[in-house]
Amino acid sequence: MNSFLTAFFAGTSQGAIYALVSLGLVLVWRGAGVVNFAQMGQAMFTTYIASQLIQNEYSYWSAFVIALISGALLGALVDLGIMRPLSSRKNSLLLNSQSMRTTIPVIASLGILGVLKALAGIFWAGEERGFPAPVPTTGLRLGNTDLAITGFDLFVIGVVFLTLVLTTIFFTRTGMGLAMRASALNPEVTRLSGIRVGSVRTLSWAISGTASSLAGLLVTPKTNLSPNTLDLLLIVGFTAAVVGGLTSLAGSVLGGFILGYVIAFVNVYSAPENVFLAILIFLLLALFLRPQGILGSKEVRRV
Amino acid sequence: MLKVSNLVTEFASIKALNDISFQAKPGRITTVIGANGAGKSTLLRTISGLERPTSGSITWFDEELTDKSVEAIVRSGVAQVPEGHAVISQLSVAENIELGGLFRKRQARGDLEIATKDVYELFPILFERRREPAGSLSGGERQMLAISRALVARPKLLLLDEPSLGLAPLISAQIISIVDELCKSTGLTVLLVEQNANTALAVADHGILLALGKVVADLPAKELIADSALRAAYLGY
Ligand SMILES: Nc1ncnc2c1ncn2[C@@H]1O[C@H](COP(=O)(O)OP(=O)(O)O)[C@@H](O)[C@H]1O
Ligand SMILES: [Mg+2]
Repeated sequence: MNSFLTAFFAGTSQGAIYALVSLGLVLVWRGAGVVNFAQMGQAMFTTYIASQLIQNEYSYWSAFVIALISGALLGALVDLGIMRPLSSRKNSLLLNSQSMRTTIPVIASLGILGVLKALAGIFWAGEERGFPAPVPTTGLRLGNTDLAITGFDLFVIGVVFLTLVLTTIFFTRTGMGLAMRASALNPEVTRLSGIRVGSVRTLSWAISGTASSLAGLLVTPKTNLSPNTLDLLLIVGFTAAVVGGLTSLAGSVLGGFILGYVIAFVNVYSAPENVFLAILIFLLLALFLRPQGILGSKEVRRV
Repeated sequence: MLKVSNLVTEFASIKALNDISFQAKPGRITTVIGANGAGKSTLLRTISGLERPTSGSITWFDEELTDKSVEAIVRSGVAQVPEGHAVISQLSVAENIELGGLFRKRQARGDLEIATKDVYELFPILFERRREPAGSLSGGERQMLAISRALVARPKLLLLDEPSLGLAPLISAQIISIVDELCKSTGLTVLLVEQNANTALAVADHGILLALGKVVADLPAKELIADSALRAAYLGY
């Protein structure tokens, strides 16, 4: 199999995972104005939960579903338990300046990341362990030729594709999806329309938690699972989100796939140690050439 | 009936509303006029729950609105069209209208469809442009859309904050007369804030003149129009 196709398939399946991470970050950024550094910590934690369940003889699929539900609950808990109380303390002197108002939740998210890593250390001894895939991770063959893609890659691409289709339908075809877009764009007009913007915000955290939890389940069969495994994914996902313009859901997904291809092609045609440099150069290029994001226009930005 | 009693709303050290009391009759237009900074927007924002009063009370018939959340106040039948053609420009015209009725979609789907048809009949241009982003509308059309978003909630009390701001006189007259019609045909109660006293007083039943957070006149609209000394003192014309 030639190296172009190898890079292309690897880029597609990795890009699909970056797209999920990036989507999760953008959902919370748009919906709550917070860059959530705890996101992949949440994913790490729920993947450990799935791993524990599988160890206790649960089937892969029940562990999969429980991990996704835990992701939603953990996301909602972060909002209800920490972010909402922080933002509603209006008479706190510290929170009164605009810059502190935006900085404090970010610092809180770093704190949550630390707590989740510590808890994973306590519950699971912080050991690195494997995480199973539901389908073979060996290369597929077509007749006598090896394809540069595994059954698991196809699984990842399929699951992410399905997720993106469902997300799109949710945002463009349902009332709740409209409420979420409206709350992110103009909370005051949305509240004046009788919508409980606070609950909508919690829902963004929950959906973001589910998407990242899914990313954790899809990436760890290749990377293994430890409290720090998913840190890299946050950086790549964040870059993808910025490339996508930070506020566009479609842009964040596109950014994820672009990053997937950039990394895969650098890996194949250059050397793995150049990947970080490539990400950095790519991020700077994107910021200079299209600061509004690949899909963003200067004023009107849809979905 | 809307009853505002001894209302005080403060920002840091300024009393934007300083002991305001008045009533607005049901099924009529009551207009609140006053110079820039008089406290007109703060008054509407306090009624709709966007600002919290320090003291005083707001009641709508027998319902105490004073400490309710914005969302709960909307659900009690009070809708606000905020200052500055407040629509969501990135959403389509139809989505802006849908947003206004979303909260009662489950209980009153049938009525919501009728209400949506009604606003499109009231403003046919919005129906023609329903798929376009609200940001592409003209100022007048945006104001029509902002009013439509409020109307699909089927409010009993409509709070309008300077609907004529920045509009050509002909267009603002058209919008005000549509609101007037609505009042007469549906029994809607309107609290209309305007800087331009003449258009507002022409359709209003009653006028409240605000200056520096206080009520300086509370008169039938006809008397307020006629009182040139009062207007010269507080509005400068
Ligand atoms: N969010 C706010 N923070 C501080 N001061 C405000 C705020 N909103 C209004 N004010 C002040 O309250 C007073 C009344 O403002 P406003 O109600 O907007 O007046 P109007 O609508 O009649 O022009 C003004 O002095 C204004 O500066
Ligand atoms: Mg005003």
